[in-house]
Amino acid sequence: MRRSLRRLVLPAGLLGLILLLALAAPLLPLADPVRQNIAGRLALPSANFWLGQDEYGRDVLSRILWGARVSLSVALAATIIAAVIGTLLGILGGYFRKFVELVTVRLAEVVLCFPPMLLALLVVTLLGPGAGTLVVSLGILFAPAFACLAYAETLSARALDYVTAQQALGAGPGRILLRTLLPNIAPPLIVQFSLTVASAMVLESGLSFLGLGVVPPSPSWGLMIRGARATMEQAPLLLFWPCLALAGTVLVLNLFCDRLRDALDPRAGGGGPAGFLRRAAALPGPALRKDATPGLLRIRGLTLEITGPRGPVAVVRDVGFSVAPGKTLALVGESGSGKTLTGLAVMGLLPGAVRVASGEILYTSRDGATRDLLRLPEAELRALRGRDLSMVFQDPSSSLNPLLRIGSQVAEALPRAPGRMARVVELFRQVGLPDPEGRARAWPHALSGGQRQRVMIAAAIANHPRLLLADEPTTALDVTVQAQILELLAGLKRSEQGMGMVFVTHNLAVVAQIADRVAVMYAGEVVEEGPVAEVFTAPRHPYTAALIAATPEGEAERLSAIPGAVPQAWAMPAGCRFAPRCSEARPACAQTAPPLQSIGPGRATRCLRWKELA
Amino acid sequence: MNALSPPGISAAPLLRGENLSRSFGGGGWFGRGRPILAVRGVDLHLARGEALGVVGESGCGKSTLGRLLLNLLPPTSGKVVFEGEALDALPAGKLRALRRRMQMVFQDPYGSLDPRRSVGAQIADGLLIHRMADATGAAARVAELLRQTGLEPAHAMRLPHEFSGGQRQRIAIARALATRPDFIVADEPVSALDVSIQAQIVNLLADLRSELGLALLFISHDLHVVRHLCDRVMVMYLGRVVEQGSAAAIFAAPAHPYTRALLEATPSMRHPVTAAPLPGEVPSVANPPSGCPFRTRCPAAESRCAEAMPPLEAHPADASRQLACWRAAELA
Repeated sequence: MRRSLRRLVLPAGLLGLILLLALAAPLLPLADPVRQNIAGRLALPSANFWLGQDEYGRDVLSRILWGARVSLSVALAATIIAAVIGTLLGILGGYFRKFVELVTVRLAEVVLCFPPMLLALLVVTLLGPGAGTLVVSLGILFAPAFACLAYAETLSARALDYVTAQQALGAGPGRILLRTLLPNIAPPLIVQFSLTVASAMVLESGLSFLGLGVVPPSPSWGLMIRGARATMEQAPLLLFWPCLALAGTVLVLNLFCDRLRDALDPRAGGGGPAGFLRRAAALPGPALRKDATPGLLRIRGLTLEITGPRGPVAVVRDVGFSVAPGKTLALVGESGSGKTLTGLAVMGLLPGAVRVASGEILYTSRDGATRDLLRLPEAELRALRGRDLSMVFQDPSSSLNPLLRIGSQVAEALPRAPGRMARVVELFRQVGLPDPEGRARAWPHALSGGQRQRVMIAAAIANHPRLLLADEPTTALDVTVQAQILELLAGLKRSEQGMGMVFVTHNLAVVAQIADRVAVMYAGEVVEEGPVAEVFTAPRHPYTAALIAATPEGEAERLSAIPGAVPQAWAMPAGCRFAPRCSEARPACAQTAPPLQSIGPGRATRCLRWKELA
Repeated sequence: MNALSPPGISAAPLLRGENLSRSFGGGGWFGRGRPILAVRGVDLHLARGEALGVVGESGCGKSTLGRLLLNLLPPTSGKVVFEGEALDALPAGKLRALRRRMQMVFQDPYGSLDPRRSVGAQIADGLLIHRMADATGAAARVAELLRQTGLEPAHAMRLPHEFSGGQRQRIAIARALATRPDFIVADEPVSALDVSIQAQIVNLLADLRSELGLALLFISHDLHVVRHLCDRVMVMYLGRVVEQGSAAAIFAAPAHPYTRALLEATPSMRHPVTAAPLPGEVPSVANPPSGCPFRTRCPAAESRCAEAMPPLEAHPADASRQLACWRAAELA
């Protein structure tokens, strides 16, 4: 059974119990809720009257259960009326727009303008008190909230591709509204339903309390609270029981509808949002490594894990590569290859679920000392971020704060000193922003995508970093703008002396354009590493070869596709991870996981058969 | 009328778009600003079984054009004629009936499938809407379609989130094929997919085209993919067609300065980009330049380019191609 369904059991059981008690009230051996017994006035709980007796000596337990029938039926009936009418108005207005929208949604908005209590009082005064009037007036009162919600949800859902797809299939409006839109806008409406039942119960109690709802002597929770108020000081328990019933029922209803919404979401339980990046806990051990040979960046045996339902799962396994000063290494792979996580691990920032299991990331800083970033305390690592190590992300539109002028955002990366803005302008000029002075005072929304990416690059190089991590920096850009950004990065490599770059991408053609060395990743492992020109002309791993062949270039009539898909992190093949999709696989490949072995100067592959295939 | 069609493609056009334009916004009660012209005066024709590629950068109007051709968006002016019937003149019922024969595949395989219904039910939708099959017949056809698109018939019971991106795109293609359409608009169907999966889907579309004789409007920003799949190409910039003709001819010798720049900027594994990149970015659609829309970035622009939009005319050396450039004759 799904987890979300299991979580539904408790509130559903409680709600069922409440409803059952209310329904079964006439069958239970209860005292007559309206029979008065002046002798037992305000009596405390006893064996015969479990919750005591009220100001007329009536049985409180019996009145609570009979009152539940009234309160619940009024609230449920009113909410169902409101939900049906409101949803209908909202969904029609949202789908058809124009005239229908004017009639339905705007009308509902007029009703929303009145204070609810006042409107209810007005209706009840006009029609006279009683349960029937109450249902009608509460229904009218709550319908507009449903209408506005359904309208807003319909507006956002009707623009989605799967609704357009239904239109393209030739479905009529009725079919689209009922089968496609309604189920998909239901979750917020269900939550609204629970909130409305709860407020209807409270409002019913309030109106009854004012003498405008249920007519005495019929029991209702509102009337009971009203009656108990007069004797509050002599018998405080009398006030407590109806309040408990009211609050308890409302809470159970809210919980039930919340869980129901989760249970109706087919994607529930599949991960959840990635959340903030945070510092992965530093591994134990000394960070300073005197024995290591200095280089700019050397990663060895990096393994990152997430905790799956069946124990830890390695999403990045035994990854190693190195970057020399002034050189660019491209990390290339498809989605799920672990290339982005590897890049983030260097910055010491990982999504909450990911843990560093083992490995080392050796970085040689300006003073010549080599430190292991995985073992460096956060304070020292923070001192490196933004100065020695900096990063450019994929989506330039979401990485700038829309409420700050871009000049001040870039200035934040610089140390506080006079002339900071002059340095920002100089940086903007360096990254080729037109009108750098004017741009420094501009807001992010005034810039195009390519210009925003230039701003992000300006911030990243503000402190002359020694290592720049670029995570798919051109993927969100148009081709002609991509060419500009690639040229800018190539130019920076020349002007920023000795700056190394790790360029994460899925695009082999971009790799050929920008990188000196390439590490090809597949399913969390580096499968091949070497100089770009060599790897592309003579790949030594079947995956690299297949990826090159699958790239739509050249004159071949038919693209050679790689069959199948990347395996899921928790269902990795036992041997070589590429074996199930590999055209060159032999039985041995499925049994032993090949190590990354050196096959020549600066080249390595993770294939058992590389010699035969070469 | 179509000298470019490879043999086997019938000459009678299946679909024609005449002077299609579409604007968004503008007007309204308070006259909120000027309308945005997303597509401006586009003419096109598509023969049975022909594949036409529409290429351009963001904001060029290629996706809007695809939706205009299917009448998912009504054109502001101009008309679409499908087998001699103008779509905008058809009553709603007849238009819905005609939708059986023209379908769409979307870019985002995560957004184009209803997350709450089984994929089998979604593939069967078209069959049931157009009463082409009863429940048993639809189930059999769904199984056949799943097999045809490289999935398993048993997958019909599952929900979309249980599939990978490539598999979902196969499901979306199966859904589009269910009613045996004559014409499919594929709006960037492989842009959201990994390279290895992209090749699978491109091959699938190529196979389906030759097996079923589908006419295809393939919208893409990736020139390499278009070259693989399409007979003819239409290059768009800021809502206008700037060049069109046979794919082979245009890729071999692009004539419009924009087409040239686009081809030069596309990175390639085999031939690294050497030309200087085009300056600037695509101007805002809301505020296009006067005259030729490309003149602000064009290395060959002159003063006359700012005065009027050049008409789409035959290529000086090759009458089967057209381009919209005042300096076509000099640059050719």
